Amino acid sequence: MPRLPTSLIRAARLIDPLLPLLLRPCRDLRSAQNELRWLCEHIQNHAGARNITERTALLKKLVQERSTGKPLQYILGTEFFGDFEIECRPGVLIPRQETAASITQLVHLLRKSKSLPPELRILDLCTGTGCIPLLFQDELSKHQDIRLELLGVDISKKAIQLARSNLAKLRSQGKPTAGNKISFMRADVLDDAREGYDHEIPKLMSALESQHKSSTWDILISNPPYVSPSEYWKTTTRSVRCFEPQLALVPPPSHGLKDLDQGDRFYPRLLHIARDVAAKIVLFEVADLDQALRVTGMARQAGIFSGIEIWRDDPGGSAELESTYASGDFPIVGSGNGRSVLCWRGEGAVWLGKHV
Amino acid sequence: MTTAPWICRTCLSRFVRPLARSNARFQSTRSSKETIPAGLLARARNIAIEHKQLTEKLANGFDARAAKKIGEYSPIVEALKAWEKANESVGELTSLIHDPETDAELRELAAEDLSATRATLADASQSLTTSLVPVHPFAHLPCLIEIRPGAGGSEAAIFAGDLLRMYQAFCNRKGLRTMLLKYENINGGQEAGIPLSEAILEVGTENAYGMFRCEAGVHRVQRVPVTESKGRTHTSAASVLVLPSIEENTLGEEDVDDPESDYYIDPKEVKTEVMRARGAGGQHVNTTESAVRLTHIPTNIVVSIQDSRSQPKNKEKAWRLLRSRVAQLRREKREEELAAMKRSVVGVAKMGRGDKVRTYNWGQQRVTDHRSGTTVHDLNDVMDGGQTLEKVMESVRNWLMERDVEALLAEESSSKT
Repeated sequence: MPRLPTSLIRAARLIDPLLPLLLRPCRDLRSAQNELRWLCEHIQNHAGARNITERTALLKKLVQERSTGKPLQYILGTEFFGDFEIECRPGVLIPRQETAASITQLVHLLRKSKSLPPELRILDLCTGTGCIPLLFQDELSKHQDIRLELLGVDISKKAIQLARSNLAKLRSQGKPTAGNKISFMRADVLDDAREGYDHEIPKLMSALESQHKSSTWDILISNPPYVSPSEYWKTTTRSVRCFEPQLALVPPPSHGLKDLDQGDRFYPRLLHIARDVAAKIVLFEVADLDQALRVTGMARQAGIFSGIEIWRDDPGGSAELESTYASGDFPIVGSGNGRSVLCWRGEGAVWLGKHV
Repeated sequence: MTTAPWICRTCLSRFVRPLARSNARFQSTRSSKETIPAGLLARARNIAIEHKQLTEKLANGFDARAAKKIGEYSPIVEALKAWEKANESVGELTSLIHDPETDAELRELAAEDLSATRATLADASQSLTTSLVPVHPFAHLPCLIEIRPGAGGSEAAIFAGDLLRMYQAFCNRKGLRTMLLKYENINGGQEAGIPLSEAILEVGTENAYGMFRCEAGVHRVQRVPVTESKGRTHTSAASVLVLPSIEENTLGEEDVDDPESDYYIDPKEVKTEVMRARGAGGQHVNTTESAVRLTHIPTNIVVSIQDSRSQPKNKEKAWRLLRSRVAQLRREKREEELAAMKRSVVGVAKMGRGDKVRTYNWGQQRVTDHRSGTTVHDLNDVMDGGQTLEKVMESVRNWLMERDVEALLAEESSSKT
């Protein structure tokens, strides 16, 4: 990381004495100023400081915390996911804006369809904060009269607790969840034995059965751990490495798996699940275009999908105009990094408005 | 030895030249009603092609702009079709008449038909020309008629009052909705009957501006004023200002989807930039960047918002700001256009008797419009806002249209070279 220029630090100190501390994680003045403003707002609105001295002390404490690289989302306790303010706690991955963009685009496509069934079942694997099911149901039932059943699955106990608390918060805010069933369940998506395996956690398929959940799902969404160990040390930022759970980022190691394959470890299993639950639409988040191409290869090999598409960071907007064809003739939609892979089959093509 | 008799060259050339043509005028100032200038015709054909393309485009997906354009073009295309049909049948009939193999009866019938078809052709070309001439952008609007006395003292003020009554009567007869927005006599009061110092009449009916546009200018009067004790004829003037009445756009911020609204922005014209993490993104970084920057490409307005931690909220805010900025710009532009128009209609110097557009002469009971050159003699009917006034106005409108056609042709030929 390049050293911060002294002139920048001096300029920051002239604006506010706390700004130089925030420059450490933010690296530029504009975002440091934004973060300072948000921290001030947070203290004024939420924290229980009564007088100005307490407030100043609290602000100083939070800024110091932030300067160690602790994500702002953990300090403030929330992150915006689409229109939603989702609660965040240490130990659970912070929702990413790119994920929200993909989900919004998926819902946007579904919304345009006139042939949606009266009931849709959506399964979200590795749900984390539960942000995907919550945003999905809000965006879709805002515009269409449809009954949704959503299930979020995660291996982490903390994540399931947080997801449930997010759901409870949503209900207490009086957001319309009427008619929609949302639930969260603890289960292991991977099914092979591995080191340090906790036998108390049920496998996904048996958990679905034992909890009397449906065994067929229309849409499968997943933002699984997809960072390979070498990428974890090279490309993730320090704040991610030090403060966010490795469990949510790097797939567990297994015998005889190379670095790259370990990063991709979830996808063959997810495609397998997609076949078992007869999913008509599948949306996976991936790290970059290379991984996207590897995943599309796997999906094609699975041989059950009638269409595959790669989405970039911003699949909406200028997307449809500049869809380009990469090697392997999968359309790549949107602008930015390769971000997710969309597959569909059967009725899914009609729901997405794709020409069969 | 047989020799052809010697014929002089003039006689020889007379043989070659057809007799009928020798009487025809090759250059005529009289505008022929049947023919259409080639430039205009080419323009019409281009428009027809564009119309076809637009229709195809519209079949694939709705586009407010294209739809509006098609609406503008379709009368032209219709008129062109009618003209081409009439032209073709005239051609056919003519060839039928000139064909030596046609029998006499058929030829007679064709000749009869020809005159009727010629009339249709004239109509068609007239309507084609009319539809091609660009309609004044404000022609569909209601208008304001402002009347002020010019040179000539109190006699001019009396005449201004006469003009006001003339227009009021005219509107009454035509059933146009009018409202006197301002009436001020020379004493500063409001009573009628005293010479006028300023009056503003609003004609609230749509298309009123297109109808009264021709009235703007200095109207000259020649008569023996009632204030004159020695019986001399005076020449005075009153100025008439005609402005389109653009009401404050009633479409507000809530009508953002209406293309007529100032607040409407085509999403295709906006470039959205979201500040993103450089490099991998996704799970690799947890950025707090939520800034959104919108650029409205046609006007180059840039809006950047980074207030909220939520990107969608920032985006929404940025759109709102962009809409109001674009609306502001549009409003300013319109006001500027209006101001420029006000200046061009009547400059301060153009209020004299010399720059008149029309003369009302009581002595000869005559009204002459100096632009179209029309003279009518039923002055009383004109002053009562009757049929005769309409005739004069009509002639000026035609004159304006001819000027427009000329300008259009000149523009076209200059753009070609």
